[in-house]
Amino acid sequence: MEEDEFFGEKTFQHCCAEFIRHSQQIGDGWEWRTLKDSSEGYMCKTHFQIKPETLMSHSGASACVQTCLPIEEALELPLDDSEVTETTTGSQVIKYEYHVLYSCSYQVPVLYFRASFLDGRPLALKDIWERIHECYKTRLLQEPWDTITQQEHPILGQPFFVLHPCKTDEFMTPVLKNSQKINRSVNYITSWLSVVGPVVGLNLPLSYARAASEDENVHQ
Amino acid sequence: MAEEPESALQLPPSSTTDGEGPTEVSPETATPEPPSSAAVSPGTEEPAGDTKKKIDVLLKAVGDTPIMKTKKWAVERTRTIQGLIDFIKKFLKLVASEQLFIYVNQSFAPSPDQEVGTLYECFGSDGKLVLHYCKSQAWG
Repeated sequence: MEEDEFFGEKTFQHCCAEFIRHSQQIGDGWEWRTLKDSSEGYMCKTHFQIKPETLMSHSGASACVQTCLPIEEALELPLDDSEVTETTTGSQVIKYEYHVLYSCSYQVPVLYFRASFLDGRPLALKDIWERIHECYKTRLLQEPWDTITQQEHPILGQPFFVLHPCKTDEFMTPVLKNSQKINRSVNYITSWLSVVGPVVGLNLPLSYARAASEDENVHQ
Repeated sequence: MAEEPESALQLPPSSTTDGEGPTEVSPETATPEPPSSAAVSPGTEEPAGDTKKKIDVLLKAVGDTPIMKTKKWAVERTRTIQGLIDFIKKFLKLVASEQLFIYVNQSFAPSPDQEVGTLYECFGSDGKLVLHYCKSQAWG
């Protein structure tokens, strides 16, 4: 994190670039998209997930094994074929798109996402909620409108769900202050996404944590 | 882990067979009031029996988060991050509206289903896994 007291758009783009660099190394599928004739851009990723109702523990276990090592294959399909066949009755593949944009008004990154079935039918907010990790459900059900809302994507103009950015600063500040104290740089995007991603089904492989600390590190 | 270090407390088991709370191993640690329920994690991720080897976890507070009197814990490999979060929240007596985050490398939050054993393999050093925890009013 640079000397800036706030997280400006340049820092945003720089952090995204670093993040994507690592994503490319491990085949995690993140890309940068620029707005035509503009320096503005955003980061995005698409992945497919088997409807996780009874499979949460399995997907957790297999994710553990895979996320430790940088691997060629992205976690596009976290479950292997055997687990797919076990659940063919009523199982569905959901396509998730995650977009990371910069919010000028909040001066933080914002996570936009949408999901659809393979036939193109979009998931409604209710469907999204059902798929959120158990540990976040209580919180979200108490204050759903504060946390996930549907809004127009600022660049694409299409409806997306958004994880509201108003509290981002609050949970990021201690991490950033701590990193300054120990004189180690932190990739804001990596840290932020590691916290908010799991809420909406996006789990970052652990190798991102090592990548972020490889640049400028204080020996632990 | 061949032996339990002297100063590490045992994290309460998540199974319901033991309702006594942490086993006091170190004489110098005044055991704080254990959480009222010893079942601090849902236990659905625990395989039967094969959790003999425990990981030494050192918990460090970040920011204004209260510091735990006991910082070193022996944790089963299969304990998930979410299980640890639930445990620390109860231990620190956080209210429902407060969130707790756990970080490796002081900056990266592993996903809730991530197991302590895996984290130790990736980020452990000197025989222990250092995790930083931080409380916040909300995330988003």
